[in-house]
Amino acid sequence: MRRAGQSVAGAGARRVRGGGGARAAAVRAIPLRDLAESLVTYARKWGADEAEVSVVDGYEFNVDVRRGRIETLVEAGSRSAGLRVIKDKRTAYASSSDLDMGTLRRLAKNAVKRAELGNPDEFAGLAPRAEVKTDAGALRLFDPAIAGLDSKTKIGLAMETERAALRDRRITNSYGATFASNEIHSVLVLSNGFVGEYEQTYCGLGVGLQAGGTDDRVEDSWSSSKRHFKDLETPEEIAKKAVARTVRQLGPRKIRTQNVPVVFEPTQTAWLMGFLFGCVTGTAVYQKATFLEGKLGRKIGNERITVVDDALIPGELGSHPFDSDGQPSRRTVVVERGVLKSYLCNHYAAKKLGLQSTGSADGSGVAPANFFLEPGAGAIPAADIVAGTKKGLLLIRTLGHGLNAVTGDISRGAFGLWIEDGEIVYPVSEVTISGNLGRILENIEAVGTDFEFHSPVTGPTVKVAELTVAGS
Amino acid sequence: MVGGNYRPSLGRRQTAWFASRAGLCDYCGVMSVPLAYVDHFGLSPADLRAVLGVALSSGGDFAEIFMEHRTYDFIDMEEDIIKETAEAVGLGLGIRVIKGDRTGFGYTNDLSLEKVRKTALTAAAIARGKAGAAPAPPVLRDRTKAKSLYAVRRPVHEAGLRGKIELVREAYEASRNFDPRIVKVKAYYSDSLKHMCIANSEGLLVRDTRPMVKLVCVAISEKDGKRESGYWGGGGRVGLEYFRDVLTPRRIGEEAAREAVLLLGAVDAPAGEMPIVLAPGHSGVLIHEAVGHLVEADFNRKRTSIFWNKMGKRVGSELVTICDDPTIPSFRGSYNIDDEGTAPRKTLLIEKGVVRGLLQDRLSCRLMRGAALTGHGRRQDYSHWPIPRMANTYIAGGDDVPEDIVKSVAKGFYVASLSGGQVEDSGKFTFSVSLGYLIEGGKLTAPVKQATLIGTNIDVLKRIDRVGNDLAFGLQTGTCSKDGQDVPVTDGCPTLRIGKMTVGGKS
Repeated sequence: MRRAGQSVAGAGARRVRGGGGARAAAVRAIPLRDLAESLVTYARKWGADEAEVSVVDGYEFNVDVRRGRIETLVEAGSRSAGLRVIKDKRTAYASSSDLDMGTLRRLAKNAVKRAELGNPDEFAGLAPRAEVKTDAGALRLFDPAIAGLDSKTKIGLAMETERAALRDRRITNSYGATFASNEIHSVLVLSNGFVGEYEQTYCGLGVGLQAGGTDDRVEDSWSSSKRHFKDLETPEEIAKKAVARTVRQLGPRKIRTQNVPVVFEPTQTAWLMGFLFGCVTGTAVYQKATFLEGKLGRKIGNERITVVDDALIPGELGSHPFDSDGQPSRRTVVVERGVLKSYLCNHYAAKKLGLQSTGSADGSGVAPANFFLEPGAGAIPAADIVAGTKKGLLLIRTLGHGLNAVTGDISRGAFGLWIEDGEIVYPVSEVTISGNLGRILENIEAVGTDFEFHSPVTGPTVKVAELTVAGS
Repeated sequence: MVGGNYRPSLGRRQTAWFASRAGLCDYCGVMSVPLAYVDHFGLSPADLRAVLGVALSSGGDFAEIFMEHRTYDFIDMEEDIIKETAEAVGLGLGIRVIKGDRTGFGYTNDLSLEKVRKTALTAAAIARGKAGAAPAPPVLRDRTKAKSLYAVRRPVHEAGLRGKIELVREAYEASRNFDPRIVKVKAYYSDSLKHMCIANSEGLLVRDTRPMVKLVCVAISEKDGKRESGYWGGGGRVGLEYFRDVLTPRRIGEEAAREAVLLLGAVDAPAGEMPIVLAPGHSGVLIHEAVGHLVEADFNRKRTSIFWNKMGKRVGSELVTICDDPTIPSFRGSYNIDDEGTAPRKTLLIEKGVVRGLLQDRLSCRLMRGAALTGHGRRQDYSHWPIPRMANTYIAGGDDVPEDIVKSVAKGFYVASLSGGQVEDSGKFTFSVSLGYLIEGGKLTAPVKQATLIGTNIDVLKRIDRVGNDLAFGLQTGTCSKDGQDVPVTDGCPTLRIGKMTVGGKS
């Protein structure tokens, strides 16, 4: 199961209901916690030395509107359970969206049998029971206002967002606007006595647009995702940003291949941080699948680079009171003024590497909480970064994968705005950027003050001294 | 769409590829044994008909119930041990109601008749008509065909875990022992068996039982503090005999290691525009991105695709003919029926450079005049509604001898192995090369590591000027992602030359 603190979609990212009004009453009538506890007991009875059960109950609403009409309307509740058993230092997992007790017991019994077929792993086992001091309520993960919204209001918000965007004559087509909300109730029970439970909400509103003719069209989108309804950007704000982001790409040129400074907008710093996260997980380190293996305590970037993973920021998308190992959440300084201070570990990776868990467990893997590049004392306004660039590319979108954690190499399709003498002069498309994350961290020569939690993995504008931009 | 990711995925498609070279899946001619269908839903045809009646009660035009029961097995070997095994069960049902161009959708994993009726009412609300306005749906007729595309002799669900663990171990050890420079190996095995049943308000009742197997290996090499990784794998809608008859675990392990070792000596990719030669098989990713997504009917109906006004018009060179065929036996992208119950057919998309067809699902087909169903309505699972998708997409072979194509390039870039791609509706697309070679004087010279290629589909299709006679399909491990839904796909391609394209290397 994916920890229900992530805003990352995935098969395990379950959508759950709970809290607020009549629906909450219906949910609480279903004893999720009893179910989890009885399954732990059952697995132990069938021979598991240790067992862990997580149950998630979710409710989701999603409306897509396009050109003033509803395209799709989704409302659904769903539940799932995940199980881990350890027997003689051997681990097996099971999961199910069929919560019939007969099915779950069969899976638990099978898991114990399957564990016996694996190999002993000296590092296998549950984390020692830890006390979670964080009050889930104080983290402000749940907004009762979301459960109280009626369908009409939610549909209306999507309609209004698209309408506001289409008022701009330069917009020639729409991918539509979406409003989505989720309510999630998660329970975690471990055979060491740990029992944890919390509720959380998400809501999101966004629109995608095209501008230009059929053969020279450009596209972009904007959306806002929050845990609290009142924190969402308004339809007008979202529409305005989506329109501006789209039309600024009209009439692009292709440039010659050259090495130039590249300024990353916050949306682009976000993927760069996502890539860095993948390179600092304890899992990647013991698998030798990251170029940052063996670099703990060493300088991996310049003094402008401070990166933090913080699960305890009230109300933020990546916050949560404990991880899927039942370890308390915390704030971890990953990189401090260029020095790699900590890998992010679940209990298993930490044990394997001789380190401490950072409360980053997510199923059998590791996930970020709120993982971000801090602006720091030397940060300057983003506008000044562009104004201080004689010639270079302001990177606004990328296309494709092209990230290799083993080497740190980056090569992606790019869209941007060309900068000359500190001014944006024209849009650029059909080029690629390539470089290496290690060298980028050494060569960030400016960090912006424009930091906000638009997504849980993020950062402000940054300027990289030089990357190869390949064109004609 | 729905789900934890609140940033709506608007108009972007991508393929997390892991495809690769060589036609490994020449797998026709195996006697096909249909897998037995097992009912896990406990809903009779009369129940289903009644639920469809509820779904249409607000005046919907069309209603559909999609039921799914899936079992899944997973084995992971790393650090020289079988580290994890996992088993999963997925059970659920999705109901959709279409009214004009609007879709109402609900799903549940509680299959009690009461909860199913409630889900039908949720989906029905989209029609917003008067209660009881719709006529009763017709009696359901079972149209399930006996013939199956899934060639299975040793079904995975009948095999024990021990035998599957042996496959993983064999791949792992072959990779680990391939070369002293291999420092880490991971091998994964997964299989699934999906029983599905579809009933709709046109009286259709149809079932399918779909197997899927996958074995992959990732090897990491190291020399002088420098590391690289290699990837290889295979599988499809097959039984375990595949790993003896078609692609052995040993070969999977060795090929992953071979790529990882080869990359240790690779140079950085060149940067800028140059002639490109694509190796056969894996390079089908280019066709998947450059053409496949943009002929999906939904993007044409909504006029967001660059192709929407180009039906019957020339968009590429005469050498380019592209098809999608969900009926290739045993392939990962194949199916007996699509996820709306339509029998799929091989669909011609581009003929000699001219746009000839679109990939259709029911909704787009209803809304586009003169369109016919092609059997390309697919969904990730019961919690998603179907949308037009690719299955097995390929560019047809030509007349050129592959060696001559390489010889014809004085200075260029040869794409040997790909890791993924992405496209947007404007036709701009990228794909990521994990292993390439420089072409110098008509010969492959230095191996080249990671590079992204970018282009606009119409430019690139026009610049395809040599097509080899060696059509092959990529590794049977590819997954395509669109609107937050993942489905298995296969791509194919002969050796191709593209006059010029931008290579995103370092200078």
